Amino acid sequence: MDLLLAAHIVKNGLLIGGIYGGVALGLSLIFGVMRIINFAHGSLLMVAMYLAWFLWKTLGLHPYVAAFITVPALFGLGYLIQSQIISHLFTREKALVVEPLSALLLTAGIFLVLDNLVLMIFGPDVRAVSVDIAYANFFIGEIPVNIPRFIAFVASIVVASGLSYWLKHSNMGRAIRATAQNRDAATMSGINVPFIYNVTFGLGVAILGLFGALLVPFFSITPTLGLSFGIKSFIVVVLGGIGSIWGCVVGGIVLGLFEAVASQFVTATSAAIFSFGLFIVILLVRPKGLMGKA
Amino acid sequence: MFGTATPLERGLIIIGFLCLLVLPFVITNPYHIHTATMIVYFAFMAASWNFVCGYLGQLSLGHSVFSGVAGYVTVLMFTQLGISPWIGMLFGGLLAAVLSVAIGSLTFRLKGPYFTLTTIAFAEIMRIWFENTDNFIGIPLKGSEGLVVPLVGDSWWAFQFNDKTPYYYIALGLLLMIVLATIMLEKSKLGYYLKAIRGDQDGAEALGINPTKYSLIALSISAFFTGIGGAFFAQFFRYINPERNMGIDMSIDMAIMAIIGGQGTVLGPILGAFILHPIAEITRTTLGGSFLGLHLVIYGTVLALTVLYFPQGIIVPLRRILARISGRAKK
Amino acid sequence: MKTRRSFLKATVATTMLLLCAPTMALADDGTVKIGLLLPLSGGSAAIGNQTKVGAQIAAAQINALGGRQLELVFSDSQSKPDIGVSETERLIQREEVSMIIGAYNSAVTFPSSEVAERYGVPWLVTGSVKNEITERNFSNVFRPNNKASYDAREQVDAIDLLSKQTGNRPTTIGLFYRGDDWGRSHAAAVKEIALERGYKIGLDEAYVPGQVDFSAQLLKIRSTKPDALIFVAGTADHILFNKQLLGNRIDLPFGLHSVGGGAEDPSFYEAVPQRGYEYMFTQEDWQIDRMQSGGLGKEITAGNVAFEEKMGYPFNSYGAQGFSNIYIAFDAITRAGSGDRSAIRDALAATNITEGPALITGYQSVTFDKNGQNVNAHGVISQNIKGERLTVWPQENRLDSTTPVWPIPSWSDR
Repeated sequence: MDLLLAAHIVKNGLLIGGIYGGVALGLSLIFGVMRIINFAHGSLLMVAMYLAWFLWKTLGLHPYVAAFITVPALFGLGYLIQSQIISHLFTREKALVVEPLSALLLTAGIFLVLDNLVLMIFGPDVRAVSVDIAYANFFIGEIPVNIPRFIAFVASIVVASGLSYWLKHSNMGRAIRATAQNRDAATMSGINVPFIYNVTFGLGVAILGLFGALLVPFFSITPTLGLSFGIKSFIVVVLGGIGSIWGCVVGGIVLGLFEAVASQFVTATSAAIFSFGLFIVILLVRPKGLMGKA
Repeated sequence: MFGTATPLERGLIIIGFLCLLVLPFVITNPYHIHTATMIVYFAFMAASWNFVCGYLGQLSLGHSVFSGVAGYVTVLMFTQLGISPWIGMLFGGLLAAVLSVAIGSLTFRLKGPYFTLTTIAFAEIMRIWFENTDNFIGIPLKGSEGLVVPLVGDSWWAFQFNDKTPYYYIALGLLLMIVLATIMLEKSKLGYYLKAIRGDQDGAEALGINPTKYSLIALSISAFFTGIGGAFFAQFFRYINPERNMGIDMSIDMAIMAIIGGQGTVLGPILGAFILHPIAEITRTTLGGSFLGLHLVIYGTVLALTVLYFPQGIIVPLRRILARISGRAKK
Repeated sequence: MKTRRSFLKATVATTMLLLCAPTMALADDGTVKIGLLLPLSGGSAAIGNQTKVGAQIAAAQINALGGRQLELVFSDSQSKPDIGVSETERLIQREEVSMIIGAYNSAVTFPSSEVAERYGVPWLVTGSVKNEITERNFSNVFRPNNKASYDAREQVDAIDLLSKQTGNRPTTIGLFYRGDDWGRSHAAAVKEIALERGYKIGLDEAYVPGQVDFSAQLLKIRSTKPDALIFVAGTADHILFNKQLLGNRIDLPFGLHSVGGGAEDPSFYEAVPQRGYEYMFTQEDWQIDRMQSGGLGKEITAGNVAFEEKMGYPFNSYGAQGFSNIYIAFDAITRAGSGDRSAIRDALAATNITEGPALITGYQSVTFDKNGQNVNAHGVISQNIKGERLTVWPQENRLDSTTPVWPIPSWSDR
């Protein structure tokens, strides 16, 4: 394999991997704090993408401008889902047996409802935003780098840094971390745990609002798009270590590079088999993930 | 026979079963028999899923792989070797059981959502592999094209009937089998062990129960039955392909029906199938595609509501109502 | 109660019958029910819906004539084989349709049409290309459109034709396809024919449907450098691929040859800028510049207007096929003289359509062989030239004004 090809592979792997990591951040945050695997994660990304597309289609908003609407909108949606639906589970858990799968099932129900509501509203047609920036490249040496993908890549690094800084240094961030470590102790020291949960879930979903807007310039949208991103995100989070913010970005990049390299030697279909295999192996051999604390 | 069932419940169950038994004499329209067969079939599949997942409290979303593999075995044994699907079905079920042990021994140490995600990953690996393999060591799998069972005509040996009624009774027989097996499970040591493992794995281990061993036994029985179901499906439609028979949709269907009905009970999964499948059927036939996806919105909503308000399934409030009725009757 | 009601019904029916007796001949000219099994939800729903609208327009035109009325009963297969079989049972048993048109997905058509065969209900295939559908010695299954093997042969034929006309011949052909039934069987067929005719296969690569990124595969295309690339994809994948192809500016000297699917879908052209599909070849069961070809019947032009009104874009392949199917069915029903299933079957078997709205798709005629395959079916291959899709193959369908671009200019020369 020549050097140029290798450089191309690394570039492709890094770009798509960064995007995988960014998309998975919210899943990891929510799991880290609330111990919930949000099965509807991919569907919420899909909703964000539809929203960005809708704003472009009706108001002509550039997706990057639409992000200023999709982020708060998705925060609101996440906050509502947590405070109106999932919170019931927590109030019940206090009294009754803890059923770790209930949350997964509940969010699976939300996934079915969201995917099919979008199908009912927007129909099955494939939608896409057509903006010129989608094809713009800059060059590193001879290697073209697609600008919107690069922006999404940078965004995931920025969001991850911002998020981990904020969790460490702000009051709210500290409260979130305290809740994640010990819910009961947090309650006793006066933290409003249900509120923290609402905010965390909202935040996790708001990140999807950002990526929804950043992805529409180059991805086309269908109501069923969520599941493939959702499954990718599960793999990323497990790879990186569940609940670890930086692990998530690293996990994404590892998966991206793995797929990029594997796809050069085998067909994409076999590469998909390998990435599921990698996922199983990591879970079995190192369940804490690459970056997780053992 | 029905554990803690009240006389009223027993009566209803027996009446229900008798109704199912005489159904083909009352309704003669093949379409209705076809639909009834599908309902009974899904009840069987949900009950097979429940056999391990319901009693162990582990959520598998990869069970379709067992039905798919066994379906392929049955069809291939028939088309390549000329072996009757009745025998192929057993082989398919056994292979599914072996496969489940291989998968289970790796994954059962994972719990909760981790287990669920690995079952999805295994099923997806198998599906993608089947879809992209035309020929495996001389066995014509025909990739995503799927396999067709050649038409032989009315023949018990070939598991093919011109009439729908025999299929219906076979499905009903399978359902009866899984119900009896589940009742036996509930009464057996295995059942107690599973419940102990579900409640507290470490505690069970301390009592000398080997959780992996008993989980695997239950899983292999469950996979066997699921495989039989897959073989039935392949014979009923005389067609099998990886997308439908190994895809995640089928696994989700099985799990949701069992969970909504009431996992970890004998009749819960059956109840789930008898409620949910008709919903899908009715929304599809009456709306005919004008409200795309409506039945899945209903599924999702019912699932969410069940998890929130009846975590043990809707069989629980139902039994409570029945208990109240019979209590009142006694007074 | 039940018996009394049915007795009442019988009485009423008999009375009606007696009253209507003198006009029986006319009553026989009444409504015929046609079932349409289509993927109205799920992955192929957009296509199912286009077929549905095309069929509705044709039926409305026929019904407006005031003669025999057609009643269309639509049912949703969800692209699932088992649902398709269940719905076929329902259409036959409960809706009591005289014939069925369906079902786009080969995986649905294959087992469902067999149910129809068993009940002796005629089945007109729409959109499904799996070869074996019309290789089973069935007497009730008829397919006006292409088989998969025709599709594959035509793509290579077109390359041959263009090479012969210009003297420029590609040496290597790449295959990039969806890793499913359709993509894999198409690629295998193209490979066989291309090798037979002396082309080299430069790339043979499947992808997972719904893949979120094609960077790795584009890199393979960049490094294997096929002269022409055969591409099989649904709409979403097609859009993503063309966008990334444009972004990466990868040169394919003898073009991208799409076998339709995504490239037949109007949403593709909305999503991808013109530069992204310029010079692309598209194979489909419909002549895209049909409306410019002149000499069209008023049904077709009116149908096109109605279709555009409803959908926002003019006829496309699936809309036209739905439209054509209804006219083929109507032709058979008229000759059968009633809604009787076996009469319609016999009439379909004797079909010989050489003109009229049924030929909207661009076929020169429709006649079925003993397996029910329209032997005169052919696809039409168009090239995108300056934002217009112009037929380049077959020569008989190419407009005089069309000059194919072959080989195509490299990115740096555009």
